[in-house]
Amino acid sequence: MASVLVKSSSNLPVLLVFSLVLLCLPPGGGQKKKENLLSEKVEQMMEWSSRRSVIRMNGDKFRRFVKAPPRNYSVIVMFTALQPQRQCSVCRQANEEYQVLANSWRYSSAFSNKLFFTVVDYDEGADVFQQLNMNSAPTFMHFPAKGKPKRADTFDLQRIGFASEQLAKWIADRTDVQIRVFRPPNYSGTIALALLVSLVGGLLYLRRNNLEFIYNKTGWAMAALCVVFAMTSGQMWNHIRGPPYAHKNPQNGQVSYIHGSSQAQFVAESHIILLLNAAITMGMVLLNEAATSKGDVGKRRIICLVGLGLVVFFFSFLLSIFRSKYHGYPYSFLIK
Amino acid sequence: MAEPVTVSDNKHKSQVNSGASYSGNGRSSAAAAERSSGGSGSSSGAGAAGGGLSGGLTQPAGWQSLLSFTILFLAWLAGFSSRLFAVIRFESIIHEFDPWFNYRSTHYLSSNGFYEFLNWFDERAWYPLGRIVGGTVYPGLMVTAGLIHYVLNLLHITVHIRDVCVFLAPVFSGLTSISTFLLTRELWNQGAGLLAACFIAIVPGYISRSVAGSFDNEGIAIFALQFTFYLWVKSVKSGSVFWAIGCCLSYFYMVSAWGGYVFIINLIPLHVFVLLLMQRFSRRVYIAYSTFFIIGLVLSMQVPFVGFQPIRTSEHMAAAGVFVLLQVYAFLQYLKDRLTRQEFQTLFFLGVSLAAGVVFLSVIYLTYTGYIAPWSGRFYSLWDTAYAKIHIPIIASVSEHQPTTWVSFFFDLHILVCTFPAGLWFCIKNINDERVFVALYAISAVYFAGVMVRLMLTLTPVVCMLSAVAFSCVFEHYLGDDMKRQSPPAEDSSDEDDRKNAGNLYDKAGKVRKHVSEQEKAEEGLGPNVKSIVTMLMLMLLMMFAVHCTWVTSNAYSSPSVVLASYNHDGSRNILDDFREAYYWLRQNTEEHARVMSWWDYGYQIAGMANRTTLVDNNTWNNSHIALVGKAMSSNETAAYDIMRSLDVDYVLIIFGGVIGYSGDDINKFLWMVRIAEGEHPRDIRESDYFTPQGEFRVDKAGSPTLLNCLMYKMSYYRFGEMQLDFRTPPGFDRTRNAEIGNKDIKLKHLEEAFTSEHWLVRIYKVKKQENRDRVEHKLRSSNANKQKYTSKKTSKRKRGYIRNKLSLKKGKKLQKKFL
Repeated sequence: MASVLVKSSSNLPVLLVFSLVLLCLPPGGGQKKKENLLSEKVEQMMEWSSRRSVIRMNGDKFRRFVKAPPRNYSVIVMFTALQPQRQCSVCRQANEEYQVLANSWRYSSAFSNKLFFTVVDYDEGADVFQQLNMNSAPTFMHFPAKGKPKRADTFDLQRIGFASEQLAKWIADRTDVQIRVFRPPNYSGTIALALLVSLVGGLLYLRRNNLEFIYNKTGWAMAALCVVFAMTSGQMWNHIRGPPYAHKNPQNGQVSYIHGSSQAQFVAESHIILLLNAAITMGMVLLNEAATSKGDVGKRRIICLVGLGLVVFFFSFLLSIFRSKYHGYPYSFLIK
Repeated sequence: MAEPVTVSDNKHKSQVNSGASYSGNGRSSAAAAERSSGGSGSSSGAGAAGGGLSGGLTQPAGWQSLLSFTILFLAWLAGFSSRLFAVIRFESIIHEFDPWFNYRSTHYLSSNGFYEFLNWFDERAWYPLGRIVGGTVYPGLMVTAGLIHYVLNLLHITVHIRDVCVFLAPVFSGLTSISTFLLTRELWNQGAGLLAACFIAIVPGYISRSVAGSFDNEGIAIFALQFTFYLWVKSVKSGSVFWAIGCCLSYFYMVSAWGGYVFIINLIPLHVFVLLLMQRFSRRVYIAYSTFFIIGLVLSMQVPFVGFQPIRTSEHMAAAGVFVLLQVYAFLQYLKDRLTRQEFQTLFFLGVSLAAGVVFLSVIYLTYTGYIAPWSGRFYSLWDTAYAKIHIPIIASVSEHQPTTWVSFFFDLHILVCTFPAGLWFCIKNINDERVFVALYAISAVYFAGVMVRLMLTLTPVVCMLSAVAFSCVFEHYLGDDMKRQSPPAEDSSDEDDRKNAGNLYDKAGKVRKHVSEQEKAEEGLGPNVKSIVTMLMLMLLMMFAVHCTWVTSNAYSSPSVVLASYNHDGSRNILDDFREAYYWLRQNTEEHARVMSWWDYGYQIAGMANRTTLVDNNTWNNSHIALVGKAMSSNETAAYDIMRSLDVDYVLIIFGGVIGYSGDDINKFLWMVRIAEGEHPRDIRESDYFTPQGEFRVDKAGSPTLLNCLMYKMSYYRFGEMQLDFRTPPGFDRTRNAEIGNKDIKLKHLEEAFTSEHWLVRIYKVKKQENRDRVEHKLRSSNANKQKYTSKKTSKRKRGYIRNKLSLKKGKKLQKKFL
């Protein structure tokens, strides 16, 4: 047993190999030694995980505690690259979810020495990555207590995503350990809201003698229009579906801002639509202003023409974008 | 139309007066800042005519009414006829899925009477559970159609109930446009009202739910919604109990027609609440809301499906809270007269905040202790937009519940979506009580429409109204004839005058006229050329809107989806009538009480057209039952047979589009079946099993073996491998998914093919009865003892003589020396 261990850590001096082999030799010592080793390992792991819920590992530790038998515990390993120079934003998000999961396990009543959460960073254990033929991060793997990891022991990140609930489901599937994910309540939203409310309240209090601005209809009208524009340009769709900002064609590097299908949209596209809608609305308002305001006739005439131009031009532009997305739409106006 | 409405004392005169030009109540106004226009009442294209007519006529008001009636009538006619595409192209047929259930229950109502209908227990649905129909539907639609049918038959106009059902929604669209006209007239002026009526008659966002044959709740509900809002605005304006009661009755009709009544019961309290915040409280609001809340509550509880929900669910609590708040506020207002100013301010502040706090806390407490049900999933998913996706796959699976892209907005509303913010702007800039309402309506509806595609329907009316306001403003200023305005009709009097001394309407006329002519001089500057250019282009935009609406209606919203049509290269049309063919086969060839299993989408159609018992249908009230069907579809045949036997299934019906390339078939929906099944049976069904290792969903050879052997796959592709569709593709080529199927040799053991329609669109399988004698799976055990006895103790070796190293001769081979 020990020899296997030695073999795997090839950089140990030969002398040590001999001494270890010699140590193993006495009859009956093998079994006992194994038990000792096991309890030692479990103790070590427990100690680490009592300090931090996710155990950081380098190459040697990984081989000793995760790969090498004897083990009676399952290990979940996240292979990742968290160093800033790697620029892996997904890794950071995945890491947060992973921490949430590990903490839920660490502080749950069912916490035992059957399951440990560990992490191997590429910059600390590049050899592990090579050994496992791994060329993408993050990757989640489960190392069962007995036997080698199977295909299903690698978490399918592409399809399921890395939400901690999904990870917990996968772990329950692989190890029969049920983890109830407990997310630490996110106070940032509440704090921001409280800050905002106190700010507004403070402002109102400071200007309590001059509350005219609350009755300012323009401000309210602006706010209402903002909501309307955000919704009609599909910001809610962006919020729920999370599309990319724009699409860059990998072949020729061309960036397209408009999605080709009518079923989807890019973030950039929705911003363009927002501006177009706002411009048309502004045109309508200007047309009305030109007719109702009292002032220089020439100026009003210009305002009127500008308003008309805004309405007509941007509407035809909008129509042409719509036409390019909705195939088979026959009508256009001014712009093809 | 032009009767003077005396607005009672308004303590916010300053706000109202600044917007007086817009609050003309059917009359165009000639108030301080704005110029008047005699033709404002007929600015929807009829303004030009109105200008010419009003000069020489003694009673322009009469002409105005006539014009309004004509325009409304034409709007009704246009709305009705543009909804008839499907009837003309196909036939008078009920569309889609839900309408089939509505039709079936209307049929039941008209043949068995109202009380039978209320007590109807439908044993043909949700076998073996059944469904209490009377208590689980909004009966407004059926009762409306049944009543029309009854009245027509009473008059000896004999029409089939189906025709009543088919044409109900187009007829109601006319009523919708009239109530939109009334509402917009209350909010702005008559011209805007007429424009709004024309818009809503043809706008695709509303047509999508009200074409002929789409016999669904929304068809009549939008009318009820608009009419309730109109009566509400009327009652807030007038403060009379009469209008408030009318509003309650209309609200009752809405409650009986559609679940969307929750929108009303939250929007109206919101309106009152915001009015309180804006210090626009008045006795009118108090009377209107108190009456509405109490009578509306009592009436809404008369609908069996709603029952005690209005006092027991969170959706309705806002209304009750605002009611309490309003009473407290009114009481404090009463105290105001009795107390000093300083005392009152303290008391007021304390009282209001205390009341608000108490209401809020008690709602939370009651929710916590379970007296009030928390938000139901469908409503909750409107606020927490990620909720449904994670927790309720059956809500997420419906395409109507997806968020809305800008393309859908533009598709359904066209120019209106870009111009209605301008209308909103004008409304807020010239705010008054009822415009607060329309602003709130617009903002909340636009939010809901952004979250869910189907709620575009509630957004459409307000978009029409506000766009009409925007266009009406522009036309009012640019369409009128300059000459005409110098002699405004005597009826035109400003609201300002009206308020100051409601009695003598005509005394101020001279002053107003002078004012107007002053205004005229400044205005002539814009010149007729600019004006006519603006008018022309605006009319052109509106024309494009009309063309767009017709195109969209004709192309996107007029397919019955029960009958499909395909077009050849030369433009000729093929009708694919597979659905009805198959349902009729079921009706004719199966036993009357046969139970048909299918995915829930087709439940209503099977019940309606084939008249057979179904297991699950579009009323997705029992998720675990649906999951069981999903599990049967996604298990292998043997496991599925157990489930089907436990559910007494006789036939299985599936939709398969691989032959004609129909994309809405069951294989494309299959992942949802798996997901829903996985939600209830995570041990047996796992979504990942149905994907390839690369995470793709494929039906060809590379597909996962679980998929290639599940019941749905087998039934869809049974004997499909023998079929070669054309010479360029191999046999068994699926046109929908553009792939050659992976499992061509499908053998069914417990099922047999019973029927496949002409284009293979519908396939029906019969579930075999269990055999009398169980066939044994494994080979019969052969007992060793018997064998030994028979062969005795002589083994083959012993029988014959046995020589070691015996030469063996091979025939046809020469013996060679070295072997010897």
